[in-house]
Amino acid sequence: MDFSWLSDPFYQEYLVEGLINTLWLLLVSAVAGLILAVAMAMARIKGPRPLAWLATGVTAVIRGTPLLVQLFFFYYGVGRLLEGIPGIQDSIFWGLLRDPFFYATLTFTLSVGAYSGEILRGALLNVPPGEREAGRAYGFHPWQVFVHLWLPRAVQLCLPTLTGEMILLLKSIPLVSTIAMMDLLQAANIIRDETFLTYEPLLLIAAIYLLLTLILTLVLQQLERHFPGVQPQRRRFRWWAQARHG
Amino acid sequence: MTPSSPDCTDTPPSSAVVEARHLVKRYGDVDVLRDVSLSVAEGTVTTIIGASGSGKSTLLRCMNLLERPQQGQLTIADESMRFTAQGPRSGHTDMPLSRHQLQRLRAKVAMVFQQFNLWPHMTVLGNVSEPPVRVKGVSRRKANALAMHYLERVGMAERADAYPAFLSGGQQQRVAIARALAMEPQILLFDEPTSALDPERVNEVLGVIRGLADEGRTMLMVTHEMAFARDVSDQIVFLDRGVVGAAGSPERIFEQSDNERCRRFIAPAA
Ligand SMILES: Nc1ncnc2c1ncn2[C@@H]1O[C@H](COP(=O)(O)OP(=O)(O)OP(=O)(O)O)[C@@H](O)[C@H]1O
Ligand SMILES: [Mg+2]
Repeated sequence: MDFSWLSDPFYQEYLVEGLINTLWLLLVSAVAGLILAVAMAMARIKGPRPLAWLATGVTAVIRGTPLLVQLFFFYYGVGRLLEGIPGIQDSIFWGLLRDPFFYATLTFTLSVGAYSGEILRGALLNVPPGEREAGRAYGFHPWQVFVHLWLPRAVQLCLPTLTGEMILLLKSIPLVSTIAMMDLLQAANIIRDETFLTYEPLLLIAAIYLLLTLILTLVLQQLERHFPGVQPQRRRFRWWAQARHG
Repeated sequence: MTPSSPDCTDTPPSSAVVEARHLVKRYGDVDVLRDVSLSVAEGTVTTIIGASGSGKSTLLRCMNLLERPQQGQLTIADESMRFTAQGPRSGHTDMPLSRHQLQRLRAKVAMVFQQFNLWPHMTVLGNVSEPPVRVKGVSRRKANALAMHYLERVGMAERADAYPAFLSGGQQQRVAIARALAMEPQILLFDEPTSALDPERVNEVLGVIRGLADEGRTMLMVTHEMAFARDVSDQIVFLDRGVVGAAGSPERIFEQSDNERCRRFIAPAA
């Protein structure tokens, strides 16, 4: 085992940049993706028919095709197509449209939107309608019923599944190294190419990922535990039950 | 469409909190309510009885417009409206009221449901203080004080921080009653408030409702608890296949109704 390259400031910089990009990508696509998920779920439940069809179609395509193919499609396909539009290279968006980070965010946001949207849709439909009706009967505006009664209840019902999706998202991020984005895997690839060491850089980023996953799991577990109205029995035995049933 | 029609000559006496005239409600081609008229005087208790499927819940739900009648007039809590068969949708609602008027009406007409319908992601205190905050714009601090007051009233103050899932049915229904009271409504609607309860829990809820009746609150209630209805009501309305079969004082309805079907409905309980 040779980890002497770790002291090289250039490699340190790659790794730090890769880590920051990984975390940024996770955060931005998780937030944007969950917002999209709520919109997609509502479009399918209550939206006007064309919008519902659109959301159903997008969900089917995103869930039915590999993430890597989607990433290539947006970066090499859409990205190259945009390049051909006359004048676009002078526009203020060009910096964004040239950046692989943009396409990675787009892909992951759509992915979270489709998968989590499907989960949320089921949860929204599982909230007993009487709870919404009580809100209506007391004079809540339909928007208040959604924001204060319906959505929080749906999230309560599917929270463990949603947090699981976030962990899967974290672990899909190395795919972006294939579109030349500097994430942790890309940093490891560069180190490997320059030092001819195959395992050590990979081991390092595997360890970093393991640590990130652990931290994310703990944070999300706290969120689940403190979500209002979650039953204490479930709280107390959750960890133990998970350990047993894997 | 104006809420109060000028040709509504038979305006209700000022003491009537509810005045429903010739209400008609159908689902598809099923007539659930066929020409129902009903009036509830301020400070009185009216109980609707009738066989399953006779339209009791539907009638009650028309009172706060959870259901929209196709015909008739309704005056409730100082809001008047006339229903016509669904015309073109007006604005945001298909009601003969603006969104604002509808909200104002519902804020004055509080409903207690058979299944309690508490919000499981809020504590008992949260459940009771949420409607005043969201609908009446009361500050959270004031709403909490208000909520504690009414939780005290129904004997649930010690459980203010509990979540509904940890309460018995009877306790949940008492919280739901506190939630209704915290809106300080002009009229309380109860739809079979004890039907979902274990028998040994029925009395704690009936006791609370009886207390409210004694306070002189205006209430419109659906129940199958015949002895209780007879005891607390000022007026009983027997609903029969979508029409009012008989209406009057409990004595009249329970002892000398001239409606054959009403007598037969009452018989097992009497
Ligand atoms: N949303 C609806 N769509 C179609 N039919 C309905 C709907 N709601 C109620 N009905 C029908 O209207 C009729 C009256 O229903 P309602 O619930 O008012 O009766 P009820 O007197 O409250 O009966 P119960 O004592 O069983 O509660 C029933 O035949 C019912 O099937
Ligand atoms: Mg009913």
